[in-house]
Amino acid sequence: MPADYLPILIMLVVAALFALVALIVPYYMGPRNPSTSKSDTYESGKLPFGTARRQVPIHYYMVAMLFMMFDIEVIFFYPWAVIFRQLKIFGLIEMGVFVAILLVGYVYIWKKGALEWD
Amino acid sequence: MDWIQTLLIPIVYSTILVVILLTGFAYLSYVERKLVARFTMRFGPNRAGPFGLLQPLADALKMMFKEELSPKNADLPVYLLAPFLAISTAVIGWAVFPFASRGFSVLGYSVPPVLADVNIGLLYVAAVTSIGSYAVVLAGWSSNNKYSLLGALRAGAQMVSYELPLGLTLVAVILVVGSMNMTEIIQYQLDHTWLIVLQPFAAIIFFIAGLAESNRSPFDLPETENELVSGYITEYGGIRFAAFFMGEYIHMITFGAIISILFLGGWSGPGADAVPFLGLVYFILKIALMIFMMIWVRASVPRVRYDQLMRFCWKFLMPLALLNLVVTAIVIAL
Amino acid sequence: MTAIEIPALNFAALLPLFIVVGTGLLVVVLDLFIADKKSLGWLSLFGVILAAIVGNMQQGGAGFDPAFQNVSLLDGYANFFNIIFLSTAALSILVALGYLGRVGLHRGEYYALLLFATSGMMAMGMATDLMVVFIGLETMSIALYVMSALNRHSRPSGEAGIKYFLMGSFASAFLLYGMALTYGATGSTNFSDIGSVLTAGTVAPMAMLGLGLLLVGFAFKVAAVPFQWWTPDVYHGAPTAVTTFMSVGAKAAGFATLMRLLMVSFPAFAVDWQLAIAVLAVLTMTLGNVAALAQKDVKRMLAYSSIAHAGYILVGVAAATTEGIKSVLFYLLIYAFMNIGAFAVVGVLEQKEAIGTKLTEYAGLARKNPWLAMVMALFLFSLTGFPPLAGFWGKLYIFRAAVNADLTWLAVVAVINSGVAAFYYLSVIVQMYMKPAADDAPEILPSTPATRIALAVAGLAVVLIGILPASLVDMVAKGVFG
Repeated sequence: MPADYLPILIMLVVAALFALVALIVPYYMGPRNPSTSKSDTYESGKLPFGTARRQVPIHYYMVAMLFMMFDIEVIFFYPWAVIFRQLKIFGLIEMGVFVAILLVGYVYIWKKGALEWD
Repeated sequence: MDWIQTLLIPIVYSTILVVILLTGFAYLSYVERKLVARFTMRFGPNRAGPFGLLQPLADALKMMFKEELSPKNADLPVYLLAPFLAISTAVIGWAVFPFASRGFSVLGYSVPPVLADVNIGLLYVAAVTSIGSYAVVLAGWSSNNKYSLLGALRAGAQMVSYELPLGLTLVAVILVVGSMNMTEIIQYQLDHTWLIVLQPFAAIIFFIAGLAESNRSPFDLPETENELVSGYITEYGGIRFAAFFMGEYIHMITFGAIISILFLGGWSGPGADAVPFLGLVYFILKIALMIFMMIWVRASVPRVRYDQLMRFCWKFLMPLALLNLVVTAIVIAL
Repeated sequence: MTAIEIPALNFAALLPLFIVVGTGLLVVVLDLFIADKKSLGWLSLFGVILAAIVGNMQQGGAGFDPAFQNVSLLDGYANFFNIIFLSTAALSILVALGYLGRVGLHRGEYYALLLFATSGMMAMGMATDLMVVFIGLETMSIALYVMSALNRHSRPSGEAGIKYFLMGSFASAFLLYGMALTYGATGSTNFSDIGSVLTAGTVAPMAMLGLGLLLVGFAFKVAAVPFQWWTPDVYHGAPTAVTTFMSVGAKAAGFATLMRLLMVSFPAFAVDWQLAIAVLAVLTMTLGNVAALAQKDVKRMLAYSSIAHAGYILVGVAAATTEGIKSVLFYLLIYAFMNIGAFAVVGVLEQKEAIGTKLTEYAGLARKNPWLAMVMALFLFSLTGFPPLAGFWGKLYIFRAAVNADLTWLAVVAVINSGVAAFYYLSVIVQMYMKPAADDAPEILPSTPATRIALAVAGLAVVLIGILPASLVDMVAKGVFG
């Protein structure tokens, strides 16, 4: 029932308000003496050079993509798990096929070295 | 009109929850410092108040009166959004946790033992706890600082990676119980036995992945002080810094609570059925035990290297969790 | 809790599909442990042939029960398309066995992706529900995107991959939006349910808009003007073995779904889409042929020619009659053989990436390698539509269907276009037979047995269908739905 979720929405709003208050109020409590060197990027005391937004190693993209795939497959397990006791052997076989396909992908990325970090 | 029942009680309920969690966070930081100090033969905070008990208060005040700085190269809206997300998403998972066997009534209005008894409780928890990684990634990216970006990349990759074994163990739990409702999960454990007995591997994997997911030692790579200053929070100061701190510690408490509910029977314990308040006490004790274990791990295990961290997750925890799931399914089906 | 009723799924109808997917998965795994990629090619070929045999056996037996709660149907129509897809796959594998090794691209992924793409095409042919159409389409397209960029170290191949990916995603978005609107207007994603709602009710503007977007999406996929601009670059840039496969397979799959969708779901709007498709057909043929005239590169020329052929096929679709469907089925099968044959020859002559595909490099081929020149001439004559080769009959049936459907003007345009097309096809033949080879022309590398089998099969098919079109006509007659 959608009404069951109303408390969650309320909690969300309360939490958000709390966070807002906690973040905004101190702004008016502290001193304010802005200066250029204070608002400069911190690079261990050296003068900062260049921007931080440059190319990053491809590995992170790979992890992101692999996560997307596997996480979505994990999400597929959830409804299946809830009704598994009713599906019995049929559910087992269906999921066996699913897991087998998942494993093919897993073995593939493992052997291709997508999981190595060097 | 029952607006009191549908609106006011949830509002008060969630306000109390949030306040307790924030206080809990403050004292958790004290407990952690004290404990780690004792583990390493030091005293820990002991100046502010008796046994240093006022230390968290002092810290909080200090943070509040700091000057708020925003780096000039930062992407300001995102930079400000990140700490907001860190605090607000950390607490909302608590909406579906049951605290006792039954609620009580005030002036004829019933206060339930769980704020929202929804049938997808576990899925909801899994969803909101993973929003925390957005806060981290957004913080690191928006700061426009090299340390922050590297820290955020590491943290992002780590958190999403460990979410997979985490999710798989949750599936194993759902498989055994046959429901995602938190109350039913506890009921199942009352009827049978604690799931840590039925699903020991899931419990262990969940604990380890939970450590990594909340960026706890030995998986606290994103904040390695010796190489990345403070990682993704390098450019944050004052209360915004505290916000991330808060998010992380509340995450820790949340994980303690999830493990307690899923594997340790939640509020269950001798006499908890008859006296609901006792259930709440058991629940808190179980959470405390879990948190103590996390701190214990932090004090005794050295930090892992990043490649070890990723390999451990993808090449060990993942297949193990999957195997656990498959075996569970086969056992249940037969 | 209510007990769960497991619906009758009719796995048997999907068995050919499962065989193709299973072989693909097997190839993925074996590829990791086997250094000899050729054996993977033969394994894939075996899987494809097995799927074709099983599919045809089904046809004789249980037959036409819908599968998975009425979302897909292995009827005669789907089975005929399966034959087209599977023969395309089989011939492409044979071509690839020779080609990939020579250009240093022999990777197991080619075969796996080809099988996955084939499975997507088969799903599209069998689909009777918009959801399945989309799943099949994406399975096919994503595999093809990756295949286009198979040669990671070549810029044209990379360009082909990224271009195809971007344009394809764009097309998928159109298609999906069209599906959403159609669903919104009719409350169903099932083909025949959509059809009955639209026939019963008044003309809903939303459904009309949905149909329009669906047409745009499919026009992208079958490379019809004005949504064709990705085609030359992708077909030219992708490795030839990949172009061979996708120039036929993707097009046939697009037409398979388009025709079923138009005829089953949108008969109520027939007047409108007939006109739209007729206009598309005219534009597509004309632009494809005119642009092909200007090409100096045979591979690129064939890419434009494939646009033109999409135009001819659209003429058959525009007829919107059973005869039109038959003529399209007939044409697509013939097109598969002759187009794959032509691309296979291009692949044989291609020394390395993009060397040996220029028109001038075909000079004197008849002297250097008379057999190769002969089969190439055969395929080109057939593509032109010279009697008595198969291509002639294909065109004849399509044009006749158009005339019988009162689209004589369209047939006339198509005939004129075929005349224009003869110029560029014949110019290749002129180069091969009447021009001497340049002095510094490289040696032609010997073709492998696999390629020879592919050329022989395709060539025989073109000739045999040309001599005995009646046998195919019977087969096609079984391939009409409803």
